[in-house]
Amino acid sequence: MVVEAVVESQVLLQLDTITEGLRIAISWPVIGWMAVGLLLGIVLGALPGIGSPVGMAIVLPLTLPLDATAAIILLVAIYSGAMFGGSIAAILINAPGTESAAATTLDGYPMAKQGLAKNALAIATTASALNGFLAAIVLILISPILIGVVLAFGSPEYFLLAILGISLITIVTQGSLVKGLVAGALGLMISTIGTGILSPTPRFTFGQFGLYNGISFVAALIGMFAFAEMMKLAARSQIAESDIELGGSIKDGVMTVFKYPKTVLKAGLIGMGIGMIPGSGATTSTFVAYAEEARSSATDGRFGEGDPRGVIAPEGANNPTVSGSLVPTLSFGIPGSGSTAVLLGGLLMHGLQPGPTLFGDQLQITYAIFVSLFLSNILIVLVGLSVIPYASRLTEIDTNIIIPVVVVLSFIGAYTLNRNWFDVGAVLALGVLGFYMVRYNYSVIAFVLGIVLGPIAEENFFRSLQISGGSYDIFFDPINRPLSFLLVLGILFILVGPFLKPAIERALNRA
Amino acid sequence: MLVVLLVLSAVFLIEPIVSNYPDDARVFPQMTAAVVLVGSLLLLVRNYLPGALGTVVNESINITTSDSSAQEQVAQREAEQTGSAPKRTLGREYGYEVNDTVFMVVSSTIYFFAGWAAGFLFVTPLFVLAYTAWFRIRPLLCVALAVLSTVIVYLFIEFLLLPLDQGQILDFSPFLDPIGLVVGVI
Repeated sequence: MVVEAVVESQVLLQLDTITEGLRIAISWPVIGWMAVGLLLGIVLGALPGIGSPVGMAIVLPLTLPLDATAAIILLVAIYSGAMFGGSIAAILINAPGTESAAATTLDGYPMAKQGLAKNALAIATTASALNGFLAAIVLILISPILIGVVLAFGSPEYFLLAILGISLITIVTQGSLVKGLVAGALGLMISTIGTGILSPTPRFTFGQFGLYNGISFVAALIGMFAFAEMMKLAARSQIAESDIELGGSIKDGVMTVFKYPKTVLKAGLIGMGIGMIPGSGATTSTFVAYAEEARSSATDGRFGEGDPRGVIAPEGANNPTVSGSLVPTLSFGIPGSGSTAVLLGGLLMHGLQPGPTLFGDQLQITYAIFVSLFLSNILIVLVGLSVIPYASRLTEIDTNIIIPVVVVLSFIGAYTLNRNWFDVGAVLALGVLGFYMVRYNYSVIAFVLGIVLGPIAEENFFRSLQISGGSYDIFFDPINRPLSFLLVLGILFILVGPFLKPAIERALNRA
Repeated sequence: MLVVLLVLSAVFLIEPIVSNYPDDARVFPQMTAAVVLVGSLLLLVRNYLPGALGTVVNESINITTSDSSAQEQVAQREAEQTGSAPKRTLGREYGYEVNDTVFMVVSSTIYFFAGWAAGFLFVTPLFVLAYTAWFRIRPLLCVALAVLSTVIVYLFIEFLLLPLDQGQILDFSPFLDPIGLVVGVI
């Protein structure tokens, strides 16, 4: 009886918090910012080369005057809107507005060439919103489990989790493991510029007062995502001109999605599952969903030639990835993609610490974010379907018009942070560094994660050592700190595992 | 790139010793700098590394199993698109070949220093006009963008009270007083 009463009171408490989250999400001006974010996201996503991380990075410093919840909901809405917006350019001009829409070009563009552009856009809108909507519900349902997991973490676990996150990203993003680790460690290293966390020692400031507060991670995000991306965009030739007539039917497109419920659900599950893996964003999930659909429908499919399922699968996977990627971002502070790295920056900038706080005292904010995801997917259907007739105009904007405006906003935004010219200089310097990091295949996300998580990692590292009296054994104690020990094993497995795999396979084959 | 990484990591390793940082301010940056230094050194000599170590440094890791043929198809289409004609620029019209990215970075750097010296409010329209004119955007659109950008900066000054009208060397802010008066009256 006592247990039942406790469970009942817990459920009631959860329902109260969800209701409070709902109240926050639909209150004014929060819902207004959600709509603004969604529209902005759709427009930014539709512009080839811009996409969600760039848009979110530019908007991030502008959210300073906003309330923390409104700011985060605005950023999440941009993220969600851009996921759909990316498909507009992918379908109409065969140039994905965001990387996550790359897989949509495979069948979306051929459909548009066959005179079914409106169908393809309506399929993308409906599949994206429908699964985003379902994923938000799943997110709300699984959050009680997350709360228990998150609250089990202490200082040593948080330090190890930061290292695990960076390690995981180095292997999830393709390329050399050593390059990934170097990028992550470089980010951690740069984060130590400024006054020391535990003792007020100015570090690596070389007498420059402007560096005493360190390099702002928001400036780093703007530099790495917005400025570096503009450098890349400047190098590109003119965007492809649309030779597509906006033919077809929106209604038929919407109905097509409901003809393939299995495809929709499968894509949603893949999107959410992959989104939960730190480091693997929507680019991975959309290609996996596409590949799975092409594999399972190999006998009756015409993939690559305009099969509607080739649009449903990637678009049905991209928005649930947003929900999935919020799990590691909000619970442990490990972002799943560039966009969630910016979102993490937003959380920290507004004083919201991912982890126990967001799943404890501030649980209503977390629920408000989840509810806003739910609502923004309803808005995606309404807004998305109504912009279809005008969608092609977005893709015709010359990138040379966008670049100077983004540069102005990046510089002004960086200056807004602390009224510090070093932050503006950091945008420029880190932008150039980011451009070359991409060119030479260093993981930008690992670097950004290092800068964002650096202070958290350093603080928890020293707190752990203070707890243990200076002994490093606190990280390797399987009896008293099993979670810590498991995380160490996880890091080792991630870093050494891929290289041991061939040897293990050889040994197994011999046996 | 690797040389920059080596120099940076060396500075982060040596500076705490030279400046005698206390332990709690020294250990973490030195640990991370050591990882960057060792990693960069390994990458620098990656072609000469023996056996297993060479494999570890050179091999790409990818644990995600997405459809590589679909990704290749997308990459191929993108490559076809980027192979189109180069942009029209003012420089090319007069026979000067300037890399577009270099132009973007140099003009942004000048914009940054000019903004620092004379205030962003006054240099923003010049930067936007110069940039858009270089890429042969329609003159009317160039002016509209310059005005829009200046209005954005002005709104930051008005609403966030940022001193973007004052440079570190030149201060043109007194010229704004009549405008402020007009805005105030409106």
